[in-house]
Amino acid sequence: MAQSGKSIRNRIRILRFHHDEMTQQQLADQVGVTRQTVNAIEGGKYSPSLEVAFRIAHVFGKPIEEVFQFVDASG
Amino acid sequence: MDMSFEEKSVWIQLASLVVGLGGYLVVAGLMLSNGVSALPPFVPVFAVAVVLIVAVNIAGHVVAAVTSRSHEADERDRLIGCRAESGSSWILGVGVIGAIMALILSVSGVWVAHLLLISLFGSEVVKEVLQIVYYRRGV
Repeated sequence: MAQSGKSIRNRIRILRFHHDEMTQQQLADQVGVTRQTVNAIEGGKYSPSLEVAFRIAHVFGKPIEEVFQFVDASG
Repeated sequence: MDMSFEEKSVWIQLASLVVGLGGYLVVAGLMLSNGVSALPPFVPVFAVAVVLIVAVNIAGHVVAAVTSRSHEADERDRLIGCRAESGSSWILGVGVIGAIMALILSVSGVWVAHLLLISLFGSEVVKEVLQIVYYRRGV
């Protein structure tokens, strides 16, 4: 999972900024995870499940590919 | 250090194990080296260790609960728990096989019991340490 963490990028920090500086805690409460998990996802230390990824995208009202991007580590 | 309730819980369990069971193993080692070869003298020492483990766990979790916002494990906590478990359970397995071999070789029951206890202790400590590593370095 750590390897895939390196290849999955996200724009959560930017999207939080554009949503009235939404805090990690507010996002965590809406998604149903702990604030530490949101922090780990944002920092690339944890790749969320598909369900949590969709929930995060839903909170921001964006399609999932605008929140998470797969970056080919080999390329 | 910024920790969720689950991570705090892991630290508390690790501390209680090291203090309780670690302390017991030190005392038991001294007893064994002094020639105690029957199990009954170890029972009260073990009982004290169990009480110590329970007490540290209760006190620690009360503090963790008061200082944490959410007490529920999420998917990351569960994944970390599963990974740590799969990376440490082999230690208990080796201990159990070793204990069976020891019984076949007619090794004293006191040594077999402590081999099982050491493997349980080792397995749990490695599990908690792996969890902490996964929490800190990512999973």
